[in-house]
Amino acid sequence: MEPLVSATNLAKHYKDVVALNGVSFGIFDGITGILGENGAGKSTAIKIFLGLLKPTSGSAIVFGENASESISVRAKLGYMPEHDCLPSSVSAAEFLTHMAEVSGLPPSRARTRAADTLRHAGLFEERYRAIGGYSTGMKQRVKLAQALVHDPQMIFLDEPTAGLDPAGREDMLDLVRKTHREFGISILFSSHLMADVERTCDRIIVLQGGELVQAGEVSHFTSETESVFLEVDSNHEQLIAELEQRGIVVQADRGGLNIEGAEASVYDHVRDALVASGAPLRRMAPQRRALAELFAREGDEDMSGGSR
Amino acid sequence: MSESTTGASGPVTGAAGTVFDIGYQSYEGPRHGRARGRMAVFKDGVRIALGLGRGSRAKVLPWGFIALLVGIGFIMALVVGAVMRLGGPDAAASLPTHSDFYGISSIFFFVFAAVVAPELLCPDRRDGVVNLYLVRPLTGSDYIIARWFAFLAVSLGAAWLPQFVLMIGMVMGNPDPAEYLLTHWTDVPKILAAGAAIAAYTTTLAMLVAGFTNRRAYAAVFLVGLFVITTPFTTGLASEIGGTAGQWISMFNVTNIPVHVNDLIFGEVSDITSGAPAGELPGWLLTVWYLAWVIVPGTILWSRYRRLTP
Repeated sequence: MEPLVSATNLAKHYKDVVALNGVSFGIFDGITGILGENGAGKSTAIKIFLGLLKPTSGSAIVFGENASESISVRAKLGYMPEHDCLPSSVSAAEFLTHMAEVSGLPPSRARTRAADTLRHAGLFEERYRAIGGYSTGMKQRVKLAQALVHDPQMIFLDEPTAGLDPAGREDMLDLVRKTHREFGISILFSSHLMADVERTCDRIIVLQGGELVQAGEVSHFTSETESVFLEVDSNHEQLIAELEQRGIVVQADRGGLNIEGAEASVYDHVRDALVASGAPLRRMAPQRRALAELFAREGDEDMSGGSR
Repeated sequence: MSESTTGASGPVTGAAGTVFDIGYQSYEGPRHGRARGRMAVFKDGVRIALGLGRGSRAKVLPWGFIALLVGIGFIMALVVGAVMRLGGPDAAASLPTHSDFYGISSIFFFVFAAVVAPELLCPDRRDGVVNLYLVRPLTGSDYIIARWFAFLAVSLGAAWLPQFVLMIGMVMGNPDPAEYLLTHWTDVPKILAAGAAIAAYTTTLAMLVAGFTNRRAYAAVFLVGLFVITTPFTTGLASEIGGTAGQWISMFNVTNIPVHVNDLIFGEVSDITSGAPAGELPGWLLTVWYLAWVIVPGTILWSRYRRLTP
């Protein structure tokens, strides 16, 4: 499958600061999460793809065209910035109509698209109110709607859940999923919150300090981390000893035991260890680790702590 | 592009009728690219400058100034028309007419530009809207040129409208309107040229200052200060020093720069520039000086916005 967007040895330096250091990756149809701490290079990568920044070296190809050279390719793209980008004195309907016209749509079509897009974003009833009077959640929806109003093939969402309360965040993630699954628009979703990316995306790209750390399908990372969770009523220590004798890696976890691996032989060893230790089994279940655990580093609260 | 889907499709029946949710529809219509984008930014700029589609407070300043300028033209027309009717065309010869209008009203033009032009640039940068323009098929140059033309169009309207009110007054006031028109038709291109000169000048300076601050108030205060303070300062200094140096100092009276061009176009010296030592300098020098004050700030403004996109 050809990537819609690709980076090849992409680098961006700001004098002595290296924002991106020769990263290469592809973004395919679907929802792709670009994950990293603040300063990892996520926003820089997005701005290069959108043509807002020129790379120091390497290339950013968007729908087969060089992102920093082609202006017309931007008609296929939408962008929802992280920070405020909305005028306060105009209504959402007027603003979206204007943005659709700026994207090249004729005025009458732009008005229709604006109304349709606001309906899909859940703001149809509020569309004639000045944006300055909107709540944070509503403003985030307007930001998403303006990215969609010209019916792009791909949208770039930079921290779309920033500043939202848990309910607003859930609504926004639902809207993002709906944007791909019902509208058929591919999405690059930037976040420093592992939970958001895990729940929303099909693929992830992990950046750290301008370097590419990981890239691939979310299911690939979670299947790699499959484990078995085990709880017994007593003989806890004996069971651990029996499992370790059989070469099984065991970790105490939430009052139970977490056993690496979910293949059939692990279950055989667990069965034998339970019999040998005489530990009464209360619960045994396969478990899939969260992405957060895969990438979490000691003392790193930032990337995994968003949902807590 | 995506296929149309019918997410929650199906009829929802009720007593009043049937509502169909046809789901998300992809846009299959025409896309006009950069030209449409430029035109949209231009139209939006005109609407912002005139406060259209915004609250009543946004309309007060632009329409207030336009009304003031038209009012000046109207009063001049009434006076000239009345004098022509009562004393004949020769009696009105010494009264201020088209060539004097921009000299009389120039300070109002400058204040109009100072308070309205920043509306076209400052909020877009302060609110971050400019980034949304630049991720569309539009460059920084497209944006600033469209905005510049938008304010120029409004300024041209504000510059020409009072002159045409004045012209109507003079035609109506003349005992032989047709004869007056035949002998004074050359005033029309002169009005258009002089109006364009003052509009281009005030637009460029006001947009340049607005391009360097996110705060409309800072831009407006700076511009009003520039226009209002340089006049007495340069006038006083020029008359104190005198000679060639005084003439050069007088050229820095920013209020007079487009009025000197107005004088050259009409071939008459306005009241406002009659005492200015710079008026004694050659016409070509005054024209070059005027062009420098339009082209240099315009280039600085353009290069500032051009750099926003690679």
